[in-house]
Amino acid sequence: MARHSFAGYNSLVSLSSQTAHVKVFFFGRLKEIVGRAEDSIELPDGSPIEALFSHYGANHPELARYRASLVASRNQEFVAWSTPLHSGDEVAFLPPVSGG
Amino acid sequence: MAKDLQPDLLALVRDPIDPVALVEHVRAAEDGAVVTFDGCVRNHSHGRHTLYLDYEAYESMALGKIREIAEQIHEKFPIHLVAIAHRLGRLEIGETSVFIAVSSAHRPAAFDACRFAIDTLKRTVPIWKKEYFEDGAVWADGEIPPAPLETRAAKPAS
Repeated sequence: MARHSFAGYNSLVSLSSQTAHVKVFFFGRLKEIVGRAEDSIELPDGSPIEALFSHYGANHPELARYRASLVASRNQEFVAWSTPLHSGDEVAFLPPVSGG
Repeated sequence: MAKDLQPDLLALVRDPIDPVALVEHVRAAEDGAVVTFDGCVRNHSHGRHTLYLDYEAYESMALGKIREIAEQIHEKFPIHLVAIAHRLGRLEIGETSVFIAVSSAHRPAAFDACRFAIDTLKRTVPIWKKEYFEDGAVWADGEIPPAPLETRAAKPAS
């Protein structure tokens, strides 16, 4: 598994000097892969959720392998991976749901 | 939204679900039907013998999505009230994992709304179950919830 480039992430640094503080949640098998249920992270304001996921994917290649089956949420609503993040946002990466 | 003074009952619970209490919650003098769905823990999955299940949820979002389902069925069907309870944690074979009760003046609306509710719950509510077998455990195959379309700027990670 190739390491994920931080290109998208770094290019945003030059666009914004503001830092966003974001809370991140992991569920199901993602929680097992990452080894924690939640994290707090700082990233350039306006970074897309995709860049945040790439950050974790770079540290946990197994996580990146599940990307195609995941859905992202911001502030408890399903959102596109291009959704920009701002301070106070709550993000989660959600595996296929299996309630019921 | 429900226009009734008595609200719908929507809950995530860790203790056993009491179906009778949910039915009693939704039935009233003006109702001619209560339709229920009892989702229970099966003793097999993909040909393997299941020992027990463990459910976890993104609880605040899950409750929000269950509320959306209740709002949707009030908009779509002429029903009276709905009760939806989903249990979390370890569940033994035969126990109820989810229970839905819908009341209405006439049965078609209650049948349709109950079916819509469980089908939508299984596609959109962030709850996950892990299946435990004699020789290991796996996260159950699930459904990918519908998400907003990506904009042109979005790039897949791999």
